[in-house]
Amino acid sequence: MEELAGRLTALDPDAGVAVRVIAYFDRLAESRAGLEALVRGAAVLAGCPARLVDEERRVRVRVEPDGTRSDTRSAPDAAWPREPLRPSSSDSDAALWLERDGGAPSVVDAVILERAAGVIRQVLDRTRGRAVPAEDPALVETLLDASADEQARLVAAKRLGLETADPAARFRAVAVFGGRARILPADSGLPQGRIGVGPAVSVLELPRSGSAARTALRFTAAGTPQDPGARVVNADELGGLALLEELVVPGAEPPADVRALETAIADAPWMLVTLHAVATTASLRAAATEINVHHSTMQVRIAHAEALLGWSIHAPQGLWRLQLALTMRHLAATAGG
Amino acid sequence: MAMTPPPFDPELAAALAVIAEHVPSTITLEWARQMRAQGVGVKLTAEQLGRDGFFAVEERAVPGPPGDPDVSLLICRPVDVPGLRPVIYHVHGGGMIIGDNRTGITAALDWAQELEAVVVSVEYRLAPEYPHPAPIEDVYAGYVWTAEHAEEFGGDPERIVISGGSAGGGLTAALALLARDRKARQPLGQMLLFPMLDDQNDTPSAFQMAGIGVWDQASNEVGWTALLGEDRGTDKVSEYAAPARAEDLSGLPPALIDVGSAETFRDEAVAYASRIWQAGGVAELHVWPGGYHGFEGFAPQAAVSQAASGARLPWLRRLLGE
Repeated sequence: MEELAGRLTALDPDAGVAVRVIAYFDRLAESRAGLEALVRGAAVLAGCPARLVDEERRVRVRVEPDGTRSDTRSAPDAAWPREPLRPSSSDSDAALWLERDGGAPSVVDAVILERAAGVIRQVLDRTRGRAVPAEDPALVETLLDASADEQARLVAAKRLGLETADPAARFRAVAVFGGRARILPADSGLPQGRIGVGPAVSVLELPRSGSAARTALRFTAAGTPQDPGARVVNADELGGLALLEELVVPGAEPPADVRALETAIADAPWMLVTLHAVATTASLRAAATEINVHHSTMQVRIAHAEALLGWSIHAPQGLWRLQLALTMRHLAATAGG
Repeated sequence: MAMTPPPFDPELAAALAVIAEHVPSTITLEWARQMRAQGVGVKLTAEQLGRDGFFAVEERAVPGPPGDPDVSLLICRPVDVPGLRPVIYHVHGGGMIIGDNRTGITAALDWAQELEAVVVSVEYRLAPEYPHPAPIEDVYAGYVWTAEHAEEFGGDPERIVISGGSAGGGLTAALALLARDRKARQPLGQMLLFPMLDDQNDTPSAFQMAGIGVWDQASNEVGWTALLGEDRGTDKVSEYAAPARAEDLSGLPPALIDVGSAETFRDEAVAYASRIWQAGGVAELHVWPGGYHGFEGFAPQAAVSQAASGARLPWLRRLLGE
């Protein structure tokens, strides 16, 4: 059947061309097409190779008009028609090019470039985020090391692309579970995953932020029934609770309350999740809602737990004892990492 | 029943948006008559077919079915290639109602150029003027002549691969059945590309794609009714008209079956491949995600089109052992 309808080919410059180019790229955008498909669309409709370059985001895509991908490292010809991707970068650093030699850029080329680049910008922002330089782990480590020479730390900051000239600039260290620490501008969004977030500080104070971030990370949990708790903990919100970290010595005999808690947890599969809900919500009713049980079920469970723990959660400081025990148990488990 | 169809591949959807004005989702006989009158697609000249002298091109009238007119074969043989070369016997598509022996031949010529093979493309009588069994009998007659005379034009009768797309795919499947049942020389393999196999036209994918994409359920009904008249959908329909009706799919040559996930023919193609395996046969099945009927012809540059067309030559190489 395909012989009947003709095929998608380079568009002749005629009155209807803009509409069709717009329809084409609108459809690609709706379907969440990727960068290669967008560059290919430009190449096919223009009938010449198309090239996307974004040095900052390390993007390089070149497609021939027959659809084949053939990237290149050669520089684009300054005479080629192009659409820059953003005003802050030069054309050679970030633009979509049509490799069209000779003559003035045609109307078709201009429409194709404009439409394609528009969608490409959206895709780049969505998939590559704000352009940030890659973080060299050695530089990050230097910057978080209080014993490192100040000058060395300033150099490391510069090399990481942190704005060091402004004395009011603030940054924070982020400790990543199972990964490397990161340093981000204070107003930046936080990375996904299980993290401890340090306070916002000036460049030279980053070691302090790093240490606080590591402490905060120890208070994070996987967020599963086996390990309930928050996956993101801010050092600023932890406040005085951070001191608890010093109470827990790896390898030491756990305190009596923690041993009682372990006994209770071993007794029933619902115990840990239930006690965690009681410890972290404002009321028993709220706790019951949190774990989806009936209020009376919750009361039965609490009674059972109290018998095993050896103290009453309702008694003065009983709840605080529970919270403390849960936290110390958790910290002992994360002492290694 | 409203069933959500699988989404089209983004590049294919965009191509359809640009060229859809040329391809109505629902084809009618009237449209087909118009297409016949103005000529289907680009008319390839002998020179273009010859690909700058690579192929010698000739048109031969060979005996048709007993009592029926001659059948026209377009024969493209590679020039100056020693020995007997594989033959691709090409059956064109067009819903049973349009097309000629140049329709869709470009892909076959592409493979033949890579493999230094001969292409024989058959022109069969079209429905509704010539209902079943005229089209399949023409195809069969052309095939038998090709097998008997292959050596005259440098072809190897032991290595004939039959191939077709859409209606041509259905006719190719029927040809494989006929060659087996009439004990003619068996082809080495069969390429069923987006094949039109089932006059019953009632699979889930037929319903899912109704009114959208290319060659929808209504168009399919037009094509099958043209071929079968009132018999369409009844138990009077022969397996040589609608291969999906065949009860026995054993003893057939290895098959390559290609279909899109978003076309009317998806489910009948998948079922045909499954039944070949259940009969202990050899088949390779590709279901291309987001592909509508004939997608790689409409947007050959798209990534999924490149993947689809790129899978056929390797299959041929493996089949032919070259």
